[in-house]
Amino acid sequence: MIRKDTLLYKLTQLHWFLLLTIIAMAMFGTLILFSAGSSAHDLETGLLRIDPRFAIDHLFRFTVMLGVMLFVALLPLRLWASLAYPAYAIGVALLVMVDLAGNIVNGSQRWLTLGPLTLQPSELMKIAVPLALARFYHQMFAAGRSGLWIHIVAFVMVMLPVGFVLKQPDLGTSLMILGAGCGVIFFAGISLRLVAGIIVLVAAMAPLVYYFGLHDYQRERIQTMWNPEADPLGAGYQLQQGMIAIGSGGLAGKGFMEGAQKELDYIPEQHTDFIFTIVAEEFGFAGSMVLLAAWAIAIVQGMVIAGASRSAFGSLAASGFIVTLLLYVGINVGMVIGLLPVVGIPLPLISYGGTAIVTVMIGFGLLMAVHLNRANDMTLRGLI
Amino acid sequence: MNRDWKNLFPSRRMIFLGAGGVVFLGLTARLAELQLFRQQEFETKAREVRIKLEPAPPHRGTIYDRNGRELASSKRNFYVTLRPEVAGKTREEIGKVIERVGRLLRLSESKMRSLLQEAVAGPRHRDILVADDLTWQEFAQVNVMAPELAGISAEVGELRSYPLQAAFYHTIGYVQKANEADITRIVEQELAAANEAPESPEGKARAAAIRRLYKHPAMRVGKQGIEAYGEAELKGEPGRIRLLQNATGRVIDRLPSEDLAGRPGKDVVLSIDAELQNFAIQRFGSDPHARAGSAVMIDIATGDVVCMMSTPAPDPNLFVSGIPSGPYKALREAEENPLYHKAYDGVYPPGSTFKMVVAAAALESGAMKPEDQVHCPGKAWYYTRYYNCWRPEGHGVVNLHTGLQKSCDCYFYKAAERTGIEEIAKVAKRFGLGHRYELGITGGKSGVVPNNEWKLNNPRIRERWYPGDTISAGIGQGYVTATPFELAVMVSRIAGGPSTPNPRLIMSGFKVPDSTITPMGEFKPGVLEAVRAGMFAVTSEGGGTAVRSGELDPEGKLPAPYTNARMAGKSGSAQVRVITAAERDSRGRAIANDKLPWKLRDHALFVAYAPTDKPRYAVSVIVEHGGSGSSVAAPIARDLLAHALRHDPGARKPFVPQQRDVAAADGVQPT
Repeated sequence: MIRKDTLLYKLTQLHWFLLLTIIAMAMFGTLILFSAGSSAHDLETGLLRIDPRFAIDHLFRFTVMLGVMLFVALLPLRLWASLAYPAYAIGVALLVMVDLAGNIVNGSQRWLTLGPLTLQPSELMKIAVPLALARFYHQMFAAGRSGLWIHIVAFVMVMLPVGFVLKQPDLGTSLMILGAGCGVIFFAGISLRLVAGIIVLVAAMAPLVYYFGLHDYQRERIQTMWNPEADPLGAGYQLQQGMIAIGSGGLAGKGFMEGAQKELDYIPEQHTDFIFTIVAEEFGFAGSMVLLAAWAIAIVQGMVIAGASRSAFGSLAASGFIVTLLLYVGINVGMVIGLLPVVGIPLPLISYGGTAIVTVMIGFGLLMAVHLNRANDMTLRGLI
Repeated sequence: MNRDWKNLFPSRRMIFLGAGGVVFLGLTARLAELQLFRQQEFETKAREVRIKLEPAPPHRGTIYDRNGRELASSKRNFYVTLRPEVAGKTREEIGKVIERVGRLLRLSESKMRSLLQEAVAGPRHRDILVADDLTWQEFAQVNVMAPELAGISAEVGELRSYPLQAAFYHTIGYVQKANEADITRIVEQELAAANEAPESPEGKARAAAIRRLYKHPAMRVGKQGIEAYGEAELKGEPGRIRLLQNATGRVIDRLPSEDLAGRPGKDVVLSIDAELQNFAIQRFGSDPHARAGSAVMIDIATGDVVCMMSTPAPDPNLFVSGIPSGPYKALREAEENPLYHKAYDGVYPPGSTFKMVVAAAALESGAMKPEDQVHCPGKAWYYTRYYNCWRPEGHGVVNLHTGLQKSCDCYFYKAAERTGIEEIAKVAKRFGLGHRYELGITGGKSGVVPNNEWKLNNPRIRERWYPGDTISAGIGQGYVTATPFELAVMVSRIAGGPSTPNPRLIMSGFKVPDSTITPMGEFKPGVLEAVRAGMFAVTSEGGGTAVRSGELDPEGKLPAPYTNARMAGKSGSAQVRVITAAERDSRGRAIANDKLPWKLRDHALFVAYAPTDKPRYAVSVIVEHGGSGSSVAAPIARDLLAHALRHDPGARKPFVPQQRDVAAADGVQPT
């Protein structure tokens, strides 16, 4: 019998089903990225062309992040609760610095260079905001406080970073932070009537925001979504070519590395935000469904973990991250298939690129930590 | 403890999962719509015909001589291309097509093999050139057979042609199909010119467009000479043709597209007179002593390079469609170096032609007066050894005038010793030596004007200057070198004085800035006059080394104002080997040149200008391994000068090319 306080025991207690789901998705992502660089019939030569660089990079990043995930999972959840506020505070401070001294890339001020490091603090906030809110509610509930005002304080805590990220401007990320934050507030028991009222209000405000709150390019993207054919060579081009790729995939797809659309470089950023077009073209409706099902399984598993936690912090932090996951998948796939305007949100574990995988794997690590500590109701004693 | 949230959580979770379910259902529904219900529509779209623009090679600018004679022009070209993907899927299928068209065009076996290799290895959707420069009959035959030859198409385009053949091989160069290195170089140049980063979207698009253009079967790139130097201007802007293409990139049809015409390349006018150039080539060719060499002539009044030839030379037309490796190897290995631009790239010891520099430096620095006398016993002792005069018997007492006239080495040993290398180097630079002239041609070398600093910094020597080095430099040997072009500039400066314009080769078409030319500057009164008088004595006074070839117009037949014109010049012989004491006979004379193998004979040089009263043309002639400058090079220089005076290219108004339609439409009036 393994003693309960050893690392080995903890490892056996990991949520293996969720872990395997994650690994399976990352492997699928590696396969897709291999295809993104390669081709069964290269247009230039007609021969097999293989370029595994994307796939190798992706696999490498995932392996490193898998280690990080296990590290996060195996440390006591109490420690993460202690770190919630400092992480939030540092995140906000970094956002202020980005605003003052960030690097402008592609017209957006998102990156911050600190010595040798280049950070995207808005990415950190995807984790830090739900954590800080969970910690806040945990404290409030422990102190027996309730009422509308704590939700208002929580909302202010959400809007502070959201405002900075929106100013960068990074609509996608700010929406995701907002979503995750509001998700935590929702799970913390805000009155449903109030939620319904807010939704109605937002719906009513939407036209105003559309005409006065958005940048021109953002409006353009929304228009493009409704009518991509109107501008086949401009903003709608990518979308339309992506949809041709997806649609022509059919039920079973064209087969691994057989996608034709990627050959012509018709779809810019196909290996990053538009990776789903390759999944859909080469593996068809069936492959798309398998991938979406994998995400659905991960989300449901996550919610089961959230519900099983005895501590408010664990439950709420887990829920906030699950909301983030749903937003990632929903927004990315939604924009690629033309249901949502194009915002720069990648498909985690599948898309090429380092930032989303870091966020998501740390989030999964926290989720696992919540699972391992589900029996701990975490009294406030000992929390820094 | 507040348990509200705990009680609420399951219902909230259901609401959330319900919302998530709606999201996934929405995604699924949309995917089903696109992939299951509208699959046909998108599949059709994927194959749908779309219009793609492909570059069409622009008209390459013509290169003219100063009188408007075409030196490099574009002629109609019938060519045949093969598109591998249409010819067949397998090597055998493509091979069959190549064999059939090859028999039709009588291509060699090796050519057919390399074509098959190219067709199989390269991108299959890209046309490859099967053959060009076809006759009308061949073209028509392929056209008739084309429906049976899958992937073969007969096209009409333009091909570079060089009507004067070998005469301008070195200066104008030639065009050929671009290889990867050419394309990479051009991409770099054009990106730098447009100030675009290679990684930027615009930079990538530009690079891709350049690559596509140069991969076109009818497109050529300047490989050397003006063709390479002026590539950007000569090339023009590609037009575009519209191709009907499906989503997989297959071309279905070509559409007429007059509205997408490109901009033709700029025409270039050279200062060279083709007539004079041809005369020089024939003059060399008819001289049994002149197997290889070069001549440069400069119009002193304008700086125009009116003749710049290097012989022997291959016919650049051979290169345009690719020269087979056998003949090319023969050209490369021939001992006359036909591929080498001897006038511009050839660096030779100037020999006695350098004595003008030493004479001017001695007078300018005050080290010698014109009347100072030196005794020449046939050799002179300096520091550690004897330095021989070319005439073992000696010249007796000589001064600056007779020293130049008789080319007495002893006089110039003494003059060099007294003047010192630094002063000599200064004057050499002021005479235009030691400089690579930017003419608009690729290549080009600068001779060496040595001094102490040069010797210390030369990575292969790194020694201080020894006094003995100065003695050798005094007669244009040792470290001193010059190109025939530099020598022509030197003579034009000596003859024309400080106001002589800098040399130029390109009169219009593109600019060739050369900001580092050393200005001549004013000399002390009498210096240039004394040097000119010495040069005049060489050709015209008894005892002058070239007095036998010094008569420009013995019969008074030159047209006015050049009737009875006189010339002034200086001979030179440059050793190509070290003469050891064992090679000298009892009287100190070296083995006669004509008894040596050709490769070991001295180079013969002659520099001259005419007319002496109002100098107009300066010439430098080098006959490689020609032996004596005064007996081999001087007659050639004389004949070139005489022909220049007869023909007088500088007196005629230079040719101005007609502006082409596109420029005219922009409001530029033809002049």
